Amino acid sequence: MISYIYTLLPSMADGLIITLEIFFLTLILSIPLGIIVSIGRLSEIKFLFKITEFYIWVMRGTPLMLQIVFIFFGLPIVGIAFDRFTAVLIAFVLNYGAYFGEIFRGGMESIDKGQYEAAKVLGLTSYKTFIRIILPQMFKVVLPSIANEVITLVKDTSLVYVVGIGELLRAGKIASNRDVSLIPLALVGIIYLLLTAIFTEIFNKIEKRYSYYE
Amino acid sequence: MKKKNYFMILLAVLVLSIINLTGCSKERVSNKDSYESLEEKGSIVMGLDDTFAPMGFRDDKGELVGFDVDLAEEVFNRIGFEVEFQPIDWSMKETELNSGNIDVIWNGYSITEERKEKVNFTQAYLKNKQIIITLADSSINNKEDLKGKKVAVQNGSSTLEAINKQPEIVATFEGGEPVLFDTNNEAIMDLEAKRVDAVVSDEVLARYYIKQKNPEEYKVLEDNFGEEEYGIGIRKEDKRLIEEINNTLNEMKKDGSYQKVYEKWFGENK
Repeated sequence: MISYIYTLLPSMADGLIITLEIFFLTLILSIPLGIIVSIGRLSEIKFLFKITEFYIWVMRGTPLMLQIVFIFFGLPIVGIAFDRFTAVLIAFVLNYGAYFGEIFRGGMESIDKGQYEAAKVLGLTSYKTFIRIILPQMFKVVLPSIANEVITLVKDTSLVYVVGIGELLRAGKIASNRDVSLIPLALVGIIYLLLTAIFTEIFNKIEKRYSYYE
Repeated sequence: MKKKNYFMILLAVLVLSIINLTGCSKERVSNKDSYESLEEKGSIVMGLDDTFAPMGFRDDKGELVGFDVDLAEEVFNRIGFEVEFQPIDWSMKETELNSGNIDVIWNGYSITEERKEKVNFTQAYLKNKQIIITLADSSINNKEDLKGKKVAVQNGSSTLEAINKQPEIVATFEGGEPVLFDTNNEAIMDLEAKRVDAVVSDEVLARYYIKQKNPEEYKVLEDNFGEEEYGIGIRKEDKRLIEEINNTLNEMKKDGSYQKVYEKWFGENK
């Protein structure tokens, strides 16, 4: 049994690397996108507001799986062709950017008006106010919601099977069908649990560090 | 009111563009034969579901192996193409083919009337039966003996469709219907546990499972529940490719190399 699990590890490791690549790249790219989206959503320029509202509606209103299929299979018809990994990454970043955008918007709206007024009195420009005063406080407020999204993202990475990319869950399915055994799938479950345990712990640490006023 | 109009226009644009897209995709299918461009590249992309043992899957080192993989490598080698294996999701196979991401579907692809409308098939290269498996010491020897016995089948499989074409036999099973399992693997495990008396299954899959376990423990009956055939799916316009593959398959059947690949994976001469 132990020696069997040992033989599974190399292919699981390959799958895990793909899973983590999608995970980290999505996270790194979608958080800045989310900030931009939240600014658009709070903008007083009507056109900008409408565009972001529409974008969020489409991204949250259709399944991520459908978005992946659309970007990979749909766009080549109008002459825009991405390779498999790029297509998946675009879909994930656009999708998670919308969710992060809404989380950040909520965070920004929760910040007291007095903060803006105080910054103005102190003579800060609106750019500086946003970067130095609003963003750090907003970040603190939204941390639990971000942690939630991050955990969801870990599991959502398994959706890339639809374009044939071999991530962790697919590696498990392959081994399960090959060896006529459920052990590979159990192993995959344990790996996902370990991943989420690690990320939960990291976010707990960050939340503690940012709880300086409590 | 104005707001609403703006919104409706956006929605209309979205809907129209989707209609437009599907319209275009149909046109793409009527392209010209791609054989020359394949020849130029010297390589061909074969789409397969890499979870499908024993036709195409990955060994514990992560290498693609399987009956279809070995056969395809030999066939395209003889034609003079290098094969690139592209794992795909099985439900997207025809979309992958017609959008040009892959050039052939070759992975235990059963020839059916419905699929013939979307792709062209080469000649059948493997017959697949719905076979009946029992434990080696069972008293069941033919379909009639299944009367009053518990028979297990995979739910949603082509096997289930096949046995339902013979309702008079299904009615004689204990309970008047088969016991359904999610996978063939579970059905065979239940046979081993003696909770069911027989399993009806896809021959290719069943023979692989039996070989993985202990062949001595099982018996495959002469009787079966009908046959189907595996073919290779090709884009409608690629007439030349079908011809080349068919010729090469015939050649391999004649010189015995096909039989070698068959024996390697299914352990029974044919």
